[in-house]
Amino acid sequence: MKKLLASIIAFMLVVMTMFSIVACGGGGEGNGEKEVDKDGNTIVKIMFHVDKSSTEGQAYQKRIDAFNAAYKDKGIKAQAIFKARSAGASGYETELLNNQLEGTLADIITFDAPNTAAYAKSGLLYDISSLISAEEQNNFYSLNKYEGKLYGLPIQESSAGFYYNKKIFRDAGIDVSAYTADNPWTFEQFKDVCAKLKAHGVTAVDMRLDATKDETAPYLLYPFIYAAGGSFVSDDGYTATGYYNSTATAKGFQFIKDLISEGYTSYAIGATDFFTGRVGMYLSSGWTIPDLDNKYREYFASRDDWGLLPYPKDVVAASATGSWSYAITNNHHSDKTATVELLKWMASAESSKAITDATGMIPARRDAETNYAVGSPEYTLLKQLELSGKERPATVAYPTFSTTFNQIISALDNSDVASLLNSATNTLQTEMDRLKNLK
Amino acid sequence: MLKTSLIILVLFVLAFGGFVAYDLATARKRREVYRVKSTATAYLMLLPAVALAFLFILLPILYSLGYAFTDYYLLRPNDINFIQLQNFKDFFAELSTKGTLYNAIKNTLTFVVGVVPLQIGLALLLALFVNRQGIGSKIFKVCFFAPVVISLSVTAFLWEQILAPGPNGLLNSIIGMFGMAPHDWLRDPKTAMPCIIVLSAWQGCGYQMLIFLSGLSNIRKDLYEAAALDGANWWRKFWLVTWVGLRSTFVYILITVFIGACRILTQPMLMTGYMDHTVTLSYYMYNKGYTERWVGYSSAVALLMTIFIGGITLIQRRIFREDK
Amino acid sequence: MDGRLTKDLPNFRPNKAPVKKTVKEIIYHIVGIILSLIFLFPIIYMLATSTKSESAYAMGVGTLNMFLPDFANLGTAFENYKSVLLNYDIWKYALNSFIYAAIVIVLNILINGLAGYVMAKLRFPGKRLLSFLIIFLIVVPVETSIIPLYSIVKIMLGLKQEMSVIGVILPAAISIFNIFLFMQFFQGIPKDYEEAARIDGANTMGVFLKVIMPLSKPIIATVAVFCFIGVWNDYLWPSMILPSANDGSWPLLPIQTALISIKSIEGITTGEIMASLVITSIPIFVIYVAAQKYIVKGFGTAGLKM
Repeated sequence: MKKLLASIIAFMLVVMTMFSIVACGGGGEGNGEKEVDKDGNTIVKIMFHVDKSSTEGQAYQKRIDAFNAAYKDKGIKAQAIFKARSAGASGYETELLNNQLEGTLADIITFDAPNTAAYAKSGLLYDISSLISAEEQNNFYSLNKYEGKLYGLPIQESSAGFYYNKKIFRDAGIDVSAYTADNPWTFEQFKDVCAKLKAHGVTAVDMRLDATKDETAPYLLYPFIYAAGGSFVSDDGYTATGYYNSTATAKGFQFIKDLISEGYTSYAIGATDFFTGRVGMYLSSGWTIPDLDNKYREYFASRDDWGLLPYPKDVVAASATGSWSYAITNNHHSDKTATVELLKWMASAESSKAITDATGMIPARRDAETNYAVGSPEYTLLKQLELSGKERPATVAYPTFSTTFNQIISALDNSDVASLLNSATNTLQTEMDRLKNLK
Repeated sequence: MLKTSLIILVLFVLAFGGFVAYDLATARKRREVYRVKSTATAYLMLLPAVALAFLFILLPILYSLGYAFTDYYLLRPNDINFIQLQNFKDFFAELSTKGTLYNAIKNTLTFVVGVVPLQIGLALLLALFVNRQGIGSKIFKVCFFAPVVISLSVTAFLWEQILAPGPNGLLNSIIGMFGMAPHDWLRDPKTAMPCIIVLSAWQGCGYQMLIFLSGLSNIRKDLYEAAALDGANWWRKFWLVTWVGLRSTFVYILITVFIGACRILTQPMLMTGYMDHTVTLSYYMYNKGYTERWVGYSSAVALLMTIFIGGITLIQRRIFREDK
Repeated sequence: MDGRLTKDLPNFRPNKAPVKKTVKEIIYHIVGIILSLIFLFPIIYMLATSTKSESAYAMGVGTLNMFLPDFANLGTAFENYKSVLLNYDIWKYALNSFIYAAIVIVLNILINGLAGYVMAKLRFPGKRLLSFLIIFLIVVPVETSIIPLYSIVKIMLGLKQEMSVIGVILPAAISIFNIFLFMQFFQGIPKDYEEAARIDGANTMGVFLKVIMPLSKPIIATVAVFCFIGVWNDYLWPSMILPSANDGSWPLLPIQTALISIKSIEGITTGEIMASLVITSIPIFVIYVAAQKYIVKGFGTAGLKM
């Protein structure tokens, strides 16, 4: 009896499954119709990844309000939608996709730069290569390109570097004033400083080797591989073999491994150890600046107590970049001119400055006005971005790249670099092949 | 989507109707009598639950089962193609490379084998401990339940501090007192899974403790008195009275803890990230479906997992079913 | 051994027992307190951290100090609470959660209680299929079904903007597991009660509302408490389907979802995060302690059979 019951249910499920497949894919496509409000203004919708009440959200809203004031006579009205990416990766992206499925996706969206390839390949984003002049494109430190076409313009930029405890450096008699963004230190000089710090009796540097649960470690550590002359993927983003496991790439990882084996850094450094004066240097991005300015007064009373050093260089200089960007969606409803006007407005030097003033990050454009004092941490980050900023690998398989990178870092101390790289390359290449076959 | 769902609904009603007809046809053989009025009332009263369950539970599951046979890529919801059994072929191809998937299955099995006895054992001990009168045991009962309601992100963060690899990590400072060297608990493949097992059992056992308590409250007191008169010691009383009385509670707890253990996801995700030595099948599924965006493939893994869990559950029921 | 001793020497028992009993009691409570501390340390940590400034917190990480308040600055212990309550509208979100929870609890008990009653007490064709489906649906992993669920709520039912509140409540109002619990509990209620009511002329619905429900306080309390915990702690689903707050209007987000975005606000300290966690944990404990005496009975009576 039970068998009969089970088989009936199994059959039922299979039948339903078949039907659901046959009838799948009903959702609407963008209809390209333009939306108009009661006063006859063309509505352009723009979707942001932050909460409206956050400082960043308020900065966006202010720029939207300014746009509406300026374009009142031209009959264009911008409407902001705020969808915080609070629920991890899935929240904002699910919203994005279902809007796409419903055909209600905003005309302009924000997205994280490493997603460019995946979004562009999936037909989510609109090719804006011809809409943004070459001259205008040159104003940006980085651009979101896939297969040679332009899909997004960065909102703001980020960079990272080595925060250092000036007190410890003074006590240990280390002078790093010569190492600036214009003239970065070398791998060897970096190791020398580490050795001196170790001799002084402190942990030399927190390389964030324990930050392998999310994007933190890949974001902070990938420049070392570029600096050593290595690479991760081919230009088209579909080949990892021969890049990710090349000797130059191995050299970059080996440098990090050496820092561990020589006792300069370790996995066991506590997340707050630098902030409480137990570690000499701390690898982090620009958003550590406000923390050091405000939160740890007992240890860092003023900027005389801490400073920021650039990434060290080896064969070349390379530093971390990347942030969220604006893109026009492929099924934008509003008429193109209005949408492009809003995109240009939001990506303008003026907007870039207004937004970075609120967020404390670096403007995405060279022509945005900045008033950082020469030698200040902000100045170092900006200069470094200008001179050596290098984007993370552009590939549709970026999530897999990020996972394998984390796995390599996490196993670096007790495995051989070459075998780690080979296994990571295999995983990534398999994923890339699969994505390539997805037509 | 509405059209598809309606087709599924019609099919569901048809299949259900067929089954009802089958029940009616075999009613006499099973010596069962159905009355029209009571049947009508039953269906009327079931209607709200069945409607909601169909819409919000069964339908999503059926859709995701359907996706198992497609190339649904999260970013292309408008372009889903039927690819027959390709996802299942990929699954077994990946399994044979002994990579992450192989580790995920291995770790999940390790976790299940470790956590099921530990969590049930702890829960039973705690239940026996607080199963008495007095204000003290009442307070203890609330305390033991506390980790169940505290958000996992808080407890996971705390355990990270406890298991922190440096010499200042709490556990390391304790073993340091005995002269042992600090250990990187969560990164060492030998200790990571045991740590996650202990943390999970600690986190969840309060809930099973409550269920055991309810089972204990059903055991008649005179049975203990009778056993005491027979000169039974504590162990024999436990074995002859308590254990026998808890049998059906135990089977229930075994099955639910087993199912929960097979689905472990949050703990490794928060404690170690996607690493080969702690990745579990659910985590693999999550990573494939959301991070790498292969919804179709991920649904296929879910389908295989469901078959596996369901199969083991049926076996467990068969083994432990009371013979009466 | 113990049993044999008392059996052989029954006369000595009355004299020895009181002392032995007190010693036993003391040992029992000491063991209990140690065990409680093992289970309570996240709460102790939360409470301690919620009173600290960021640098005091950072100093304590990894040492036993993380479980102790910052004794040097006890005067400012409640600063974090003050700033959380004043700056982040927490009470609005908490009220939302209460409203959602209340509606979900009522619907859940009615809908699943009815279904459980039918499954436990009535005879009808198709019952065996439904029993199988109940077990089947408890077993199936639901991790991947959240994507289709989202599409069903947003696209098929078209619940957008304010209407998406329905999308938070309705899916939470049905719980196969609660049907199972109700079913198990109702099976333990003797038939006599119902038959007496039927003789008085009550129909099935009347029997359910007037006879069965009043006898089922334990299971109702159990389901209510776990519903409350479920709604109160859920953040992923509401954050996916509810719109974020618009200009000045009342926010729709429940407390945990709001907490996650509060956590990501730049410049918030760990102490403030912990203070908000403490505030949001209080209702759960109050409700759990209040309903405690029923919960144990709720699982019982019939003895759960799978």
